Amino acid sequence: MTFLQDPEFGDRIITLMAALVLVLQIAAVGQRWLVSSIRIFAVQSFLLAAIAGIIAYFNHASHIYIAALLTLVLKAGLLPWLLERLVRRIQIRREIEPLINAPLSILIAGCLTLVGYVVAQSFYHPEETSVRAALGHNTLAVAIALFLIGFFTMLNRRKALTQVLGLLSLENGLFLAAISLTYGMPLVVELGIFFDVLVAVMILGILVFRIREAFDSMDVSKLRKLRE
Amino acid sequence: MIGLIAKAGLQLVLVLLVAPLLSGIMKTMKARLQTRRGPNVLQSYQDILKLLRKGMVIPETASWIFSVTPYVVFVTAALVGLMIPMTATDAPLSLFGGVLAVVYLLALGRFFLALGGLDAGSSFGGLGSSREMTISAIAEPAMMLAIFTVALAASSTNLSEMAKVAVSQSWKFLAPSQMLAFAALFIVLIAETGRIPVDNPATHLELTMIHEAMILEYSGPYLALIEYGASIKQLVLMTLVVNTFFPFGLSSDWTLRGLTLGLVFYLIKMLLLACLIVMVETTNAKLRLFRVPELLMVSFIFGALALISTFLF
Repeated sequence: MTFLQDPEFGDRIITLMAALVLVLQIAAVGQRWLVSSIRIFAVQSFLLAAIAGIIAYFNHASHIYIAALLTLVLKAGLLPWLLERLVRRIQIRREIEPLINAPLSILIAGCLTLVGYVVAQSFYHPEETSVRAALGHNTLAVAIALFLIGFFTMLNRRKALTQVLGLLSLENGLFLAAISLTYGMPLVVELGIFFDVLVAVMILGILVFRIREAFDSMDVSKLRKLRE
Repeated sequence: MIGLIAKAGLQLVLVLLVAPLLSGIMKTMKARLQTRRGPNVLQSYQDILKLLRKGMVIPETASWIFSVTPYVVFVTAALVGLMIPMTATDAPLSLFGGVLAVVYLLALGRFFLALGGLDAGSSFGGLGSSREMTISAIAEPAMMLAIFTVALAASSTNLSEMAKVAVSQSWKFLAPSQMLAFAALFIVLIAETGRIPVDNPATHLELTMIHEAMILEYSGPYLALIEYGASIKQLVLMTLVVNTFFPFGLSSDWTLRGLTLGLVFYLIKMLLLACLIVMVETTNAKLRLFRVPELLMVSFIFGALALISTFLF
């Protein structure tokens, strides 16, 4: 089991899992069911936690373990549970209604991934020929793509709840970028971000509930009128 | 020369034996997941034997194409079975550019199947053929893109060369572009073998059927040949996915020990892939027909991204 000590193996696995996260993200863009989108987000977060865990293992950085554990508990466990409960309470399992139809959205997501790769290219220094530099750059490209696709999802969806999901995947992209570039931010920063996201989702959840109470719909485009 | 014939014979026997078994295992697994008892694992063999003994009904409107189709479907599938590395890295046959020949031999079988569906003169056959062609028109480019990604990494379109490079690199072969290509090829696999989000293999009572609609007019030995051909095609595509992306355990030579070990690894890998497919089939509902292109679009984008991301690095 010598390859378990080989940092190159770790980097390969990280890049592979990052690619899997990207695959899930593009699949989520084409996804029509709210509950499936939430579950895809949960799996994505689980993979991110695993990536963080692997980075911690290969770089012997114990504080990243805490970040990995937090990701696992909060983003792969608590947030999907909260969102699914919200879906159950509002009793919508209906299909998501995107502004742009699914094939075109997937095409756009593909183009955004390319943009991510091109942007990540400018961070790449050819004089650093080591494998690690190339792989870190690959993960960065995936992270930027995640960020952009999350943004696109937020723009593309009408329902408030699906916009929350876009925000969450955007945040996943940020987390991946941070952890793959710096091999872990200071723990205080990580904790701050986690609680930020948690509180944001809780507030947005309540907001979604209220929007629905007041307008009988989660369609945010109906919020244009302030007075009736 | 004798060695080549021996290799080809061995692999042919393996393909012909394993293909119905795999279909049977997948049927049983699916039934168990749905808490049914399901058919015996060996049921597919018995079905084929039974059909071979039955008489045939040939439509009056049918021309020679109707009778040629079963043979073409079966022979192309079996030929492709010889061109794919199953237990050893070098396959017995390699024709015109390896993987390109594999894809287009399968396409030839599909083309004749579609013609056969039209030739029978029933309206269902025509429906099935037109649907099959619509789906394969999108599935084929996606498949080519995914396969080119792997071929680029091995810098050869020869399947044996690709398998050799993959085996020699061990886990270093795992790259993000391979992940994307795998996702693309998996969706294509489901579409090409007519599994649930795209088509339902278990029934010919649905108006949205694709493969079953094409072969509705076939009976007796012809049906047996087509069914056998379809199960070989499924085996071949699954082998392609398993051995190009997870080449672990492929034997590098045709010795007895290497082959036995290779066979064990191969069967384990195929079982795992079969589990994955059955899980997808049980947890998903069949897509509406006009949603199928969307699914294949996802696969196409994955394939394109996989290919482009290999060039960017």
